[in-house]
Amino acid sequence: MKTRARLPRLVACGATLALALSLSACGNGNGKASSSDGKIHVLVYGDASNKVEKQIVDTFNKTSDVKAVLDTIPGADYQQKLQTIINTPQAPDIFFNWGGGSIQPFVKAGLLMPLDSFIKKDPKLDKSFLPSVVKSAVVDGTPYGVPMRGTQPVLLFHNKKVLDAAGVKPPQTWDELLGAVKKLKANGVTPIALGGGDRWPTLMWFEYLYDRIAGPSLFQKAHEGDKQAWESADSKKALSMIKELVDAGAFGKNYDSVKYTNGASPALLASGKAGFELMGSWYYAQQQSDAKAFAEKDLGYTTFPTIPEGKGDAADVVGNTNNFYSVLKKTKHPEAVAEFLKLMYSDEFVKAQLAIGNLPTTTNTPKFLDSSADPDYSRFQYDLVAKAPTFQLSWDQAYPPAAGTPIQQAVQQFFNGQIDADGFIEAMQALPTE
Amino acid sequence: MTTQITSTPPTARFRKEASRWPAGSHAADVGRPSFGWALPAALFFTLFAIVPLVMVAVLSFMSWNGLGSPQFVGMDNWSRLVDDPVMLKSIWTTLLLTALGILIQTPLSIVLGAWAAGHQRNRAVLSAVYFVPLLLSATAVSVLWRALLDPNFGIPADAHWLFGDGNLFGKQATAIGVLAFVSTWQFTPFHTLIYQGAARAIPQVLYQAAEIDGAGRYRQFFHITLPQLRNSMITSMILMTVGGLTTFETVLILTQGGPGTDTTISAYYMYEKAFKGFDFGTGSAIALTLVVASTVISLIVVRVSGYDKMRSSMEGVA
Repeated sequence: MKTRARLPRLVACGATLALALSLSACGNGNGKASSSDGKIHVLVYGDASNKVEKQIVDTFNKTSDVKAVLDTIPGADYQQKLQTIINTPQAPDIFFNWGGGSIQPFVKAGLLMPLDSFIKKDPKLDKSFLPSVVKSAVVDGTPYGVPMRGTQPVLLFHNKKVLDAAGVKPPQTWDELLGAVKKLKANGVTPIALGGGDRWPTLMWFEYLYDRIAGPSLFQKAHEGDKQAWESADSKKALSMIKELVDAGAFGKNYDSVKYTNGASPALLASGKAGFELMGSWYYAQQQSDAKAFAEKDLGYTTFPTIPEGKGDAADVVGNTNNFYSVLKKTKHPEAVAEFLKLMYSDEFVKAQLAIGNLPTTTNTPKFLDSSADPDYSRFQYDLVAKAPTFQLSWDQAYPPAAGTPIQQAVQQFFNGQIDADGFIEAMQALPTE
Repeated sequence: MTTQITSTPPTARFRKEASRWPAGSHAADVGRPSFGWALPAALFFTLFAIVPLVMVAVLSFMSWNGLGSPQFVGMDNWSRLVDDPVMLKSIWTTLLLTALGILIQTPLSIVLGAWAAGHQRNRAVLSAVYFVPLLLSATAVSVLWRALLDPNFGIPADAHWLFGDGNLFGKQATAIGVLAFVSTWQFTPFHTLIYQGAARAIPQVLYQAAEIDGAGRYRQFFHITLPQLRNSMITSMILMTVGGLTTFETVLILTQGGPGTDTTISAYYMYEKAFKGFDFGTGSAIALTLVVASTVISLIVVRVSGYDKMRSSMEGVA
């Protein structure tokens, strides 16, 4: 009898618990339903940059009747958690993303608001940003993102001391790079540090070589579903040049056991055991915190070498074009959202980002470059991105999420010889494009 | 989840067999707790094990990327999985790693457990130190070993005679070797603990009798200790099997299934499909395969070993 009386209460307890668990899945106590509480929720990747996002939200709330609330999800879980809440009542109004393939499934599911109407009302939402960057949040010809945070082009970094000792200059062309590899090897150092264990650093070599040799159209075609593109002569040439570099011993023999994410490959460069490392622009800040003395004195950086007879523009860059804010179609306060997005090209935003080492891609950024942590480095990066005819978003982010792992696997296997050019082409042709 | 489900049959059976009250006896009913006491546990088990399992089974016939409503696709996920070379390879890799775990850890933990069961000086201290890896999370252990095995700054950099160029994570054989080693390093203490407890429960009279008969230490070990550890051995091996089949963190952190797909074990493949590729249908199919496989394997071990009959445990107690 007792049991029966207790049952409803137990069920109630269980239901409450289940509810509590599902609520906590949105990662933050503030993450309540955004429907009708007169607020807009801004969901961002939780890290050090949140400082600026908090500031911007505060600025917005000073003048707006509809208040913005900042919700954060710890970095590593961001994409997974976003995907689980975006189609629920807990979905935010505005959310952080990487453009390209990262928002493509949401666009397909009809969840995102096309931003044309916002842009029509306020052309500055488009015109205030560098065109090469804005492009990577365009899906099927429609803009879905406003740039936020900073751009992260991939650069060729080097250790000045190591290069001097081997009599090598920062290479401007592919042949100079091959020559440098030979000389560095003769000097007993690993020519190029590579965190192959993480795979995505390896991918950067493919992205640059394909762009330099074939131009941006090859990847664009392939990405749009033209599988023949991977079989083209340019594709094969790019693969043979990668092979040439690997076989020349440019990366040593144990690159697959080295990681970037645990600081091992940056340490190779900082300790003088390697000459070069190809890495995103965040590398500079990384070295500054890991090896301050080295970063200040001996860390050099250049653009990726040109390739003779390549179809790609030598000014093209690859990497993370930027982060973006996208808007949910079902937001109850589109006007407030539009007002909030305008802050992304404000002077306050640019200054605050530069102060923490990010490099925003607004046209007014140059005015404030001198106030950044390292003006020369910021200016170099900014000019690079401003002048780039195209900025190729990392392949694994341009493709939909399902393709990410197969791309990284194929790249690793081609580098270490588990598959040949044909195997690589086959793997890329098997990728899901939508 | 898998662990709970697969480990339940032996425990449930154990309780039934070991029950001291004959069924239907009125005297037994008096002190017996009512069924109500089982409700919370039953509720939680249903809520967090049975319900998700059923949902996973249903999801394995659907196509779902986490957005919108799932589409029913019939056997699509399953038929694709049957033809998927990575899936087949992942099953072999999983079985290989599980078998390696059992083959390496069992002898090691028996010897260490029998040794640690003694009363000599310093053993307590040494045993305590030795159990430290058990206290660390698999994640911490994996991060630690990944750093220690870095070819340029870790142990291989100073031991070229052993590690060559240090490319441990770049070749299948060595990558699997590292995974087997790390799980041995972490879990041998646990199994040692089981054997230590079991070895301490062996009646001293057996050894005294053996000594009178003139049996040496090795004979004693092989003819008394080892046979007496039989049931513990089965327990430990079932745990190793289930643990091996559901290994995940070590692969996630140490190799990410690489080089290529060489260390992509089934549990990791499931994660990759479901949570990195957002293909929850295929992920569910892999998960279900794992549940079925580990249940079947556990049952086989239980049957073959005669564990379900619990033949000698009562003698051991006496």
